[in-house]
Amino acid sequence: MFNDLDPILHSQLRLAVMSLLISVKEAEFTFLKEKTNATAGNLSVQLTKLKEAGYIEIKKQFKDNYPQTLCSITPKGIDAFEKYVKDLQAYLKIGAP
Amino acid sequence: MTEQESLAMISEMIAKAKTSYHDTGAGSILWGTIISFCSLVTWAQIHFQWSIPFDIWLLTLLAVVATIYWSARDSKRRKVKSYDQTAMDYTWTCFGIAIFLVVHANAGTRNAFNDLKDSIEAAGLSRPSISFSDYAPAYLLVLYGIPTLVTAGIKNFRPMLIGGIVCWVSAVLVVYVDSETDMLLMALSAIAAWLIPGLVLRRRCAKRKEAADV
Repeated sequence: MFNDLDPILHSQLRLAVMSLLISVKEAEFTFLKEKTNATAGNLSVQLTKLKEAGYIEIKKQFKDNYPQTLCSITPKGIDAFEKYVKDLQAYLKIGAP
Repeated sequence: MTEQESLAMISEMIAKAKTSYHDTGAGSILWGTIISFCSLVTWAQIHFQWSIPFDIWLLTLLAVVATIYWSARDSKRRKVKSYDQTAMDYTWTCFGIAIFLVVHANAGTRNAFNDLKDSIEAAGLSRPSISFSDYAPAYLLVLYGIPTLVTAGIKNFRPMLIGGIVCWVSAVLVVYVDSETDMLLMALSAIAAWLIPGLVLRRRCAKRKEAADV
């Protein structure tokens, strides 16, 4: 039996963000933008979707008088990511010759 | 997006996150140089029986100021906080505080030893030749080894593994040798644990920069 791949994660930019955040404690918005090569507007929209799903936490604060946005993955996000990878592996095993 | 593309994306991003921060080795080089220099000057003072008008170990306070400045500047510049780096920050901060606590405890013990020797002398007996200073470096060397080995383990960094082992072997040896040799062992430990690994990190960092510029 196949599980459907999580539609929240099965999108290029959202998956890229989650893959970056799973490897670090927290990351600035500018770091995510730089590593994913996304535009600020698109990234902002996708981060909001991930936040609404409860997969990431977004913290806004000031650093040296400039606004700073910090993102980190939540335990729910970690579970969802792990499940996504397992489902992906199941698909690839069946698809392999 | 196909399943293969998803997997490739995950691998690529994890690799990018892993290579997002690199130690330049500046802190290791600074501390390795300062501790080995102070140890060698102390050794020279004992060996050639000359003295300088101030305690050479006060230089470590300058290194503390430089380290705090670098750490603050580095944390301002850092756009990402990795689990490894957080563990390293805690380990080395705790080590820095622990060193000052041990130095403080050693100074108290040394004073108590001297008071005891004064009392023995005042009672008309010969002054004991035993000195706490002959053993004090052992405590410092045990401490030097802990964060060095933790860093070696977390970062899988062999030069620091060797350095940490040198510190702990020296901690055993200082109990059996005179205070003059203690200082040589301290200098050797600082060079092995911090100066050499720091130079290796600096070289790696320069190579990465060179490759990125090409």
